[in-house]
Amino acid sequence: MPAQDCRVNNTYSSEHMHSDSPGNQPRSLLQQTDAELFVSLKAGRTGALGILYDRHSALVYGLALKTLGNPQEAEDLTQDIFVTLWRSSSYDPSRGSLRTFLAIMTRSRAIDRVRSRTAAQHRLEQWHPRRSEDVTANLPFEQVAQGERSQEVQAALAQLSNSQQQILKMAYYEGLSQSEIAKQLAIPLGTVKARARRGLLKLRQTLADVLS
Amino acid sequence: MSPEELQLLIAGYVLSDLDPEEAAAFEQLLAANPAIAEDVAQMQNALEVSYASPEVIPPAHLRADILNQISSMAAETARRPASTRPFHRRSFSWRSLVEVAAAGLVVALGVNNYRLSQALQTAQSQTMPQYATTTYVLDATQGDSVASAVVTVDPNNLEATLTAENLPPLPPGQVYVLWTVLQQDAPFTVDEKAAILTGVFQVDSQGSASKTIAVPPVYRVGGVVSRVAVTIEDANAPQRHAGSPIMVTDL
Repeated sequence: MPAQDCRVNNTYSSEHMHSDSPGNQPRSLLQQTDAELFVSLKAGRTGALGILYDRHSALVYGLALKTLGNPQEAEDLTQDIFVTLWRSSSYDPSRGSLRTFLAIMTRSRAIDRVRSRTAAQHRLEQWHPRRSEDVTANLPFEQVAQGERSQEVQAALAQLSNSQQQILKMAYYEGLSQSEIAKQLAIPLGTVKARARRGLLKLRQTLADVLS
Repeated sequence: MSPEELQLLIAGYVLSDLDPEEAAAFEQLLAANPAIAEDVAQMQNALEVSYASPEVIPPAHLRADILNQISSMAAETARRPASTRPFHRRSFSWRSLVEVAAAGLVVALGVNNYRLSQALQTAQSQTMPQYATTTYVLDATQGDSVASAVVTVDPNNLEATLTAENLPPLPPGQVYVLWTVLQQDAPFTVDEKAAILTGVFQVDSQGSASKTIAVPPVYRVGGVVSRVAVTIEDANAPQRHAGSPIMVTDL
């Protein structure tokens, strides 16, 4: 199970997006929320990235390592993710949590890298056919992760409808956007949103004891 | 806003999918009730224990590598405006000549690169998928069953991958059958239940199945497939379609 105690206070706090209100005491970077740090980063304070890295690099690197299966590639991807966070403005702090944004971007880019690696390997195999069992070394990373879930989590997931499970998996684990999910499942976007949220709420309620 | 609506809004924030109106409402709620931050943290944990991989601390040098890269990129960005200062007429120098030559080379390479990318695009467009992949999620029809199946259809090569879980292994002589059920007036040959037999499968001792199935071309026609279902049939005559659906999509 991921280390959680550091996360509860770091992800969010009551002062979210209100650091500039009059009367607030100036706070050090370390005391700021993710949203405030991101705003500082965009204003040119690159020191904010170090704090964000300290908070979230273990999540990003863990996902990258699990998906890519190779420490060097996982390091490259982690570097890519944090540099992208610094350069791009695609994250909007008012719309959602930074951790989820980083996790989805990591998974999505890691899956792209596995796919291009597999495609390159297939091209190679057209010239140098190999035994089929060799190929499985690069295949489904999902199954490994699913086997690692605790019994409590597996039981909580089993209480979700199959559709809720599928949508949460596609959103968080496969890094697909909600409109991509809606298209792929041939259901309205509003239904995707509603099912994802209800599914997550159910997970939180079922896992309340584990999480506390 | 009811407590449940608030919880669903928090779930939306954690899933990073609030629309602008919801984001504004959420911000106001948070300002009025700072305790919501704790709910956000718990919801985030619920998502991560269920779907994220275990956290792993990266090697120590990586932090410095990233911060160094960003510092040098920031410095580069800061330097760049100097090179765009107004052009001043200068006397002839070999250096300018080299610069002109280099610029010419860049243009030539650029054109070459453009041609290459055009060629690549043409090549890609010949193999571009024409139809979007569709995923069908099947739920058990009996309330006490936890069986599930996912069928992902790629209409381009008319293949589907079927994965099923928690189905009881069948006695000899019976098989699970996957059906494609069409809309009533669809112009395709179907059986009495408006279905096309799409695949036959068995599960292993754990109740799981995973296989690739060839699907009929109806998947290339929009709005024709009404649902996808699984029944149990006689292994010698699965086409009789005698069983009732044990799993079906909720389209």
